[in-house]
Amino acid sequence: MSTKSPVRPGVLSGVRVLDFTWKTVGPWAPRLLTHYGAEVIHVERAGGYDDHRYNATPSIVSDEPQAAQLPGTKKVYSDPQFNTLREEPSAASGQKKLYAAPYFNTLHHGKLAISLNTRNPEGLKIVERLIGICDALVENFSADVLPNWGLTWERIHQLNPRLVYMSASGFGHTGDWKGYRSFGPTAAAQSGLSLASGLPGKPPAGWGFSYLDVMGGWMGGLALIQGLLKAKKTGKGLYLDYSVTEGAMSMMGTYMLDYQVNGRRTRRPDFPPGNRSIFPSMSPHNTYRCAGKDRNKQDWWVFIACETQPQFESLCHVMDQPDLVLDPRFATNEARVAHQDELDAIIGRWTRARRRYDIMRKCQAAGIIAAVVQSAEDRVEYDPQLQHREMHPIINHPEVGGDFAYEGYPVKMSRTPAFLHGRAPALAEHNEYVYGELLGMSKAEIASLREREVI
Amino acid sequence: MSGVYEDLTVVELADRRNQWAGKLLSDGGARVIQIEPIQGSPGRWCGPFVDDKLDPDRCLDYWWNNTGKESVALDLTRKPAQDLLTKLLNRADVFLESTPPATLAKLNLDYGAVTANKALIYASLTDFGQDGPWRDYQMNDAAHLALGGQMSSTGYSDPTATPIGGQGKQAWHMGCAFVLHGITVALFDRMTSGEGQYIDVSIHDACAIGTEAAVPQWMYYGETMHRQTGMHANPRRQPPLQLPTADGKYMIAVMQNFGARVWERLLKWMDEKGVTGELHDAKYQDEVFRMSEYRTGTVIRDAIARLIKASNGEECFHRAQSYGISWGLVHAAEENYDIPHYQQRQYWRSIEHPEIGRAIPYPRGPIAADELQIEPRGRAPRLGEHTRQVLQQDLGLSDQDCASLTAAGAIR
Repeated sequence: MSTKSPVRPGVLSGVRVLDFTWKTVGPWAPRLLTHYGAEVIHVERAGGYDDHRYNATPSIVSDEPQAAQLPGTKKVYSDPQFNTLREEPSAASGQKKLYAAPYFNTLHHGKLAISLNTRNPEGLKIVERLIGICDALVENFSADVLPNWGLTWERIHQLNPRLVYMSASGFGHTGDWKGYRSFGPTAAAQSGLSLASGLPGKPPAGWGFSYLDVMGGWMGGLALIQGLLKAKKTGKGLYLDYSVTEGAMSMMGTYMLDYQVNGRRTRRPDFPPGNRSIFPSMSPHNTYRCAGKDRNKQDWWVFIACETQPQFESLCHVMDQPDLVLDPRFATNEARVAHQDELDAIIGRWTRARRRYDIMRKCQAAGIIAAVVQSAEDRVEYDPQLQHREMHPIINHPEVGGDFAYEGYPVKMSRTPAFLHGRAPALAEHNEYVYGELLGMSKAEIASLREREVI
Repeated sequence: MSGVYEDLTVVELADRRNQWAGKLLSDGGARVIQIEPIQGSPGRWCGPFVDDKLDPDRCLDYWWNNTGKESVALDLTRKPAQDLLTKLLNRADVFLESTPPATLAKLNLDYGAVTANKALIYASLTDFGQDGPWRDYQMNDAAHLALGGQMSSTGYSDPTATPIGGQGKQAWHMGCAFVLHGITVALFDRMTSGEGQYIDVSIHDACAIGTEAAVPQWMYYGETMHRQTGMHANPRRQPPLQLPTADGKYMIAVMQNFGARVWERLLKWMDEKGVTGELHDAKYQDEVFRMSEYRTGTVIRDAIARLIKASNGEECFHRAQSYGISWGLVHAAEENYDIPHYQQRQYWRSIEHPEIGRAIPYPRGPIAADELQIEPRGRAPRLGEHTRQVLQQDLGLSDQDCASLTAAGAIR
């Protein structure tokens, strides 16, 4: 494996990012910059590592050695995401590699990795030197972590007046709640997003994954690019205090205004409306059960909506029930909304016996909105659109047995295309490059730092 | 200080998919000219409306997604209107559009046709991008959440219950996030190259990479997720983490490590509510045993459920957080208005609305940074409010020109 930073083409070529992120929302933001050629240095603590590296469950790809076989490990707790054990090694220095860790590979591909002991004063001096040679600094620790290292914004700005610093946190770095902690679901709950998902009269369905770690990371990435653009214009660094919960609230603006103007709350008996549409009020607009079940014996579903009268008339023809158009209960959108339970039952009886992709194709051919509720398997193995758009590009990674498919990056630019810059780094893979070439340390100095467990 | 997009002119072709991206460009200081059809943007007709009365100038969803923009109403099926748009594009920095692929080529407004302006960044945010077998499929936001995978992971633990797509037009938001990446990166590039470019973003592509663990779980393990009520989907069914409180709300009791200090405080809280059960047993003092039981067993989980059931939501949230436990309370969006924390962070920005005779507090946006200054810059425009102003001041049309174009139905 190369321990050097490859030459990276792209708009952000030459931009260097110091990445202290972990978990999910943090790592996404700097990863997005790698697609444009930024050199992102992911810092992991010496003697440990990013917890997403861990994966004790043998995968169908390749997984050696097993975590449990490693010496000096201590079971700590499980990862609810992957249902695997996490292990805490007393020293990572002896490890040649970690494992085929799915989410680490997703969140950190294209980055460089170094290890550094930030509990050591000498380690903190190195952090300061790294700040001096980077254009951006990103972290998603609790609000007190960097100040505890002596790295207030004032100090950071003094060390490198051109640096863009973004803290990504659940609630922001000022205000009563600045010490509060948050995972994606915490922020989704607090913002109002979770409550706005589900069937009326049932508990909230929320989002079945950390939507705010994903979308929150993308918005954080946008803020970083915006910060770099501004710094390029002014030549001056700046601080971005990114609160994921505030970001989520700004994705609920319509409901905020509805409350302010009409006094209508989202906490009310008929909200959320399941998959039906209230604004605008229209029917049909719902999910319908199809023939077949998935691997977990969950029913298969298709979403169908008619936004116009011609679409509804076409649907009646596709269902071979042309008389429905004349039925006074369904003749107009207003009538359909008033009788949508009956209409949904009729459509559901039609879909129940049919194959989901066949329903989608027939409806779409007739100009009707129809979409299969696709699982990950459907998207990866079948979806011809994603295949055509090459949304699962291949990256070579020896730890997963060579070539392996990843989720791609969805921005296609004509003159300065976005790239994938290769696999996720092995633990401390780029220590020599970063400490040696970038900071100009001698081999002896690096060896000494390693001996003293600073790196 | 000025916004990150200050001094830029954006021309946005009105559409429900791209309007939030245009809003964020306006929030960042860009001048955003929204080109609407004569009958108004589709975004004006969806509701909710002020007092629930249908009125394209009083649609709250439009108000939210179009702060600070200018409205120019043109009938682009007519040649004179197409020419006006071409002229605007010749002077613009960014063009943001969401028409079905091939639509603008017919109007001689596709990227190939407007390259007189070499610096123009031409961004298309569409359902499927500009190519591919599903390119011309009909979609809306919920359809994207179905096809993109969000619904497949979201819903209820009952395997016969429907998958759910969350409200708030989140598929379009995901597409907007990426089109803004592209535009902002292109602006960065243009500072040195002086050249614009074409950006193609597909909402389906964006949604398809936005399901967190579902795709890696399939690729690495061949496993499919179970939907679980109010919590993450998982290949294995798990006990609930969304738990009811004493006052009829729900806590998200996110799983996390309970170190010695946190555990001690949690036990004290449980003692206070009389729900501790056997947790004072010495074996739970061992962190390895404790976390293993929490992960795989029911004793700690049941005690947590009893604790939350015995506490009110707000108490639960603040006590947990003060102990370093990252639980969240399922709030309604509007309940955030009363929280001092957001007021202290100056999250609400007052926008005057003469239509209703008062100002409304709008959410600021995700980023608190004086230097980027991303915040709503004013109310959304009325339909065609700026037509004459833009055509006269920017393109030099006369009163008479405007009158004849209006009479011909080309502008409003």
